[in-house]
Amino acid sequence: MITVENLTKKFETITAVENISFNINESEIFGFLGPNGAGKTTTIRMLSTLISQTSGKMTIDNRSPESDGEYIRSIIGLLTESPGMYEKISAYDNLDYYSSFYSISNTIRKNNIKKYLKMFDLWDRKDDLAGTYSKGMKQKLALSRALIHKPKILFLDEPTAGLDPESAHMVRNFIESLKKEKTTVFLCTHNLEEASNLSDRVCIIKRKIIRIATLSELQSDDKNKRVEIVFTDDADRYIKLMEEIDEIKNIQTDKNKATLVIGKPEISNPIIIKKLVDSGAGVLYFNEIKATLEEIYLDLIKDKEAK
Amino acid sequence: MKNAAVIFKKEIKEVIRNKNIWMPILIITAIFSIVMPLVLILGSGSILKDEDTINFINKMFGQVGDPLKVLIGFALKQLLIFLLILPAMVPSLIAPSSVIMEKENNTLEPLLATPIKTSELLLGKSLTAMVPAFVISTINFIILIIVVDTAAFIKLGYAPLPTVEWVIVAFLLSPILSFILTMASIIVSSKSTDIRAAQGIGSVIILPIYLVIGLQLAGFFLLNITYLLIGCLILLVICPLVLRLAIKIFNRENILTRWKMKA
Ligand SMILES: Nc1ncnc2c1ncn2[C@@H]1O[C@H](COP(=O)(O)OP(=O)(O)OP(=O)(O)O)[C@@H](O)[C@H]1O
Ligand SMILES: [Mg+2]
Repeated sequence: MITVENLTKKFETITAVENISFNINESEIFGFLGPNGAGKTTTIRMLSTLISQTSGKMTIDNRSPESDGEYIRSIIGLLTESPGMYEKISAYDNLDYYSSFYSISNTIRKNNIKKYLKMFDLWDRKDDLAGTYSKGMKQKLALSRALIHKPKILFLDEPTAGLDPESAHMVRNFIESLKKEKTTVFLCTHNLEEASNLSDRVCIIKRKIIRIATLSELQSDDKNKRVEIVFTDDADRYIKLMEEIDEIKNIQTDKNKATLVIGKPEISNPIIIKKLVDSGAGVLYFNEIKATLEEIYLDLIKDKEAK
Repeated sequence: MKNAAVIFKKEIKEVIRNKNIWMPILIITAIFSIVMPLVLILGSGSILKDEDTINFINKMFGQVGDPLKVLIGFALKQLLIFLLILPAMVPSLIAPSSVIMEKENNTLEPLLATPIKTSELLLGKSLTAMVPAFVISTINFIILIIVVDTAAFIKLGYAPLPTVEWVIVAFLLSPILSFILTMASIIVSSKSTDIRAAQGIGSVIILPIYLVIGLQLAGFFLLNITYLLIGCLILLVICPLVLRLAIKIFNRENILTRWKMKA
């Protein structure tokens, strides 16, 4: 659905995005993660034909922004980073105005406006001036605006920023439900739990791409392998013992629990267990645990900074 | 084209509601179309008691007929040039706020992400500036004619307006000027975030107006049909140039990402 090849964007002195490449499949949810200033919004703006690239190529639904900008814009929906609304006209009129630029029939348009305003719980306040809306209400209105023409590809720049937990939950469920309609979702977010729950694949970027993978691929990286040992008594008693085992790369203890970062489990686990049991440690449980996206992300970013 | 109409329809409502646009227009109309002509015409009798003025008039116009009539004719040529203030001012009040406010409120980016063509957006925004300019200028023209004719009729017993010169200024020179200032305002607003700076270019037009008044007072020339038509021709040549520049500068990338330049 989206192909990006060696894309670079320079603003006068800064290179915002450098040589990035990726492909996104139809109905995939692609989590796009990175620290502030990493180039996420810039990438979205290039993909949504708002700004041009300095070099490199991209296609959206097999068309190129240079030659088919209008077509591309007709099939994408964009939730911008700052959800601007015309403050002096009503919420309904805002949606009515923006949606009138798509070639969809008036009946469908009005139906969709109603559908999304109801879905986001704004229908009762539809005639209020958009300027009187709270931050989260504006965000929901902006989401409605991005959806009203049933886009094939949806670019979401921090969709749940500013939403209360209930609304955020609703929005996440909604994003997930878009899969059934084969909508492709490009999801920028700083909420890593959200990214890990929703994304089919994540892309971690900091000007350049650091990594593109599914969560389980990331978790099966050797350096992300962890085990948890529950002892019969305080885990701190065994710290010294564990530190002497070469296969253990990092130890964190909490009461009876120790979390260990290990190398290859098939080699290290038998050795660790044997050494602990031989030394008389009371091992109650020994479990594999999965690194969270947050742990993996922080690690990757730290690595990149170190380089 | 439908899209340009949609934009025009929405924006014109906002213009009509915007006091910041109406107040200066009302003030200018009151000064230049009501107060000034009344003072010039009703007060001209007393000026003629002054020797120097009579000498000036005689020097300039030769000794033809009633000096009062000649003086009012001269005053009308001065007023003529003030007809250009509104067609210049209105677009430069409206166009910058319609572009820059959208940047400030972040409404422009979602708008640019719709299938709308930049040419349609440009057309919609230009009409929002030019249509009110034309309507207001024409109303102003009519007010001025009524005020001048009434005052002149009381004073001299005849109604001097409209003349061909006035019609040229109102329906040829003014719209051309509005067009140029609309384009210039849009060019500046595309690259700037400062509404006041962008609106400032409207006031630049005041300088040539002062120049013409000054030159007329100094006796260098008097506006006549030929001069006015030459003026129109020169401005007409500028039109396609500003249009081309506006189309070039008013593109998605420029409006969205060029924030630094101050006009
Ligand atoms: N119009 C612009 N002119 C100059 N530099 C820009 C412009 N837009 C973005 N940049 C720069 O490009 C870099 C990437 O910005 P971008 O907005 O894409 O980051 P981001 O990943 O979206 O960050 P955040 O998480 O804070 O939203 C930043 O260094 C930013 O300063
Ligand atoms: Mg961003």
